[in-house]
Amino acid sequence: MGGVRIDFDRIVKRFGSRTVLSNVSGSVRPGGVVVVTGPNGSGKSTLLNILAGALRPSAGTVRYLDGGNEIERTRWFERLGVAAPDMAVYEELSALENLRFFARVRGVDAADDRLSALLERLGLLARDQRRLVGTYSSGMKQRVKLAQAVIHEPPVLLLDEPSSNLDQAGHEATADLVARFRERGAVAVATNDPREVAWGDAQIQLSL
Amino acid sequence: MLAKELRSELRSRVALNAVGLFALTTLVAVAYQIGPYRIHEDDRPHLLAALLWIILFFAALSGLARVFVKEEDAHTAKTLRLAARPLAVFGGKLMFNLLLLLALELCIVPLYLALMGYSVIGVAGLLAVLLAGSLALATTTTLVAAIISRASGSGTLFAVLTVPIALPLLVVLIQGTRAAAGSAEFSEVLPALRAIISLAGVQLVASLYLFPVVWHD
Repeated sequence: MGGVRIDFDRIVKRFGSRTVLSNVSGSVRPGGVVVVTGPNGSGKSTLLNILAGALRPSAGTVRYLDGGNEIERTRWFERLGVAAPDMAVYEELSALENLRFFARVRGVDAADDRLSALLERLGLLARDQRRLVGTYSSGMKQRVKLAQAVIHEPPVLLLDEPSSNLDQAGHEATADLVARFRERGAVAVATNDPREVAWGDAQIQLSL
Repeated sequence: MLAKELRSELRSRVALNAVGLFALTTLVAVAYQIGPYRIHEDDRPHLLAALLWIILFFAALSGLARVFVKEEDAHTAKTLRLAARPLAVFGGKLMFNLLLLLALELCIVPLYLALMGYSVIGVAGLLAVLLAGSLALATTTTLVAAIISRASGSGTLFAVLTVPIALPLLVVLIQGTRAAAGSAEFSEVLPALRAIISLAGVQLVASLYLFPVVWHD
């Protein structure tokens, strides 16, 4: 199967004298979901940040491969969709304005109908889409975060605790999203939620 | 990017309020304490030009760092970093800071001229100095804002880094303003204007190379 694949080899991450990740290796391949689990502080989010290129590893390598060709680090973001607890969308904009903005900076079609349909698929009702995100509940904000991550239909999707703050309907919408992306791309999910762990074809278990 | 910045700012008005209030307060304090008559006639060209740029420069320092600091504070920086090309981010932020500075000057400069009794003979020269100076100042502050945004105590660090970088610029801006105030001949302003444009150009080119590194690392 074609598409973008991430290979990571002997990743080490230290913050000062504290080693968070020690020789973690693996790959995130198209058509599969890799679930990263482990206790709090074991480095799940750190690993996802390193895979996203938002953090440099202290040692080890991360490679993005597209049909055997390596993609340079500065261009990873074009292939990526990321949603994580330490990422936010603009509270002074509405959900639709946020998506319009992220679509434009990513250079994709920003027709309101398409953006609105994406938000509705994630459970954000049309009547709420024009309200400022600052007035949203944390679950509604999480839906907008997920929408901005997939707006450009990326071949790689990295999700850190994607169902956090979501109700059962939100969890199901996220599960549908992951299932849809698994068919055409590579997905990695950092989580300890048993419902999300069940999405995985492969698991990376981190320890303290 | 610029449209998003403008929309966000018009709704929150954080930078507008910070820059505007600082400039207005300083202007009123200077006008009240010094006014048009307490400076000796011989010192007026130098002091009035210097005071104008001191007000504009420190007002700029109080608000222009917000473009990047607010992204870090609101946790939107990482979302933006993973979505947008670095130069699109820098271009948008730079344009926003430039517009903010020009809006500030549009309000403060006429007030300053009126309150301080500062007569400018070369209006075209002054406008050229203000325009070129704003571009240079916006470029410097935008890059420094990106550098300091992830640091704790970013406000202090912003001033500490910006002042030495902007000092040569400030000197030629004052010289250019003094020249414009004293002569209707545009050629009188040209030496300072060339220096300002050169500094703006150097800072812009350096920023375009440095920003992607600063933004991603």
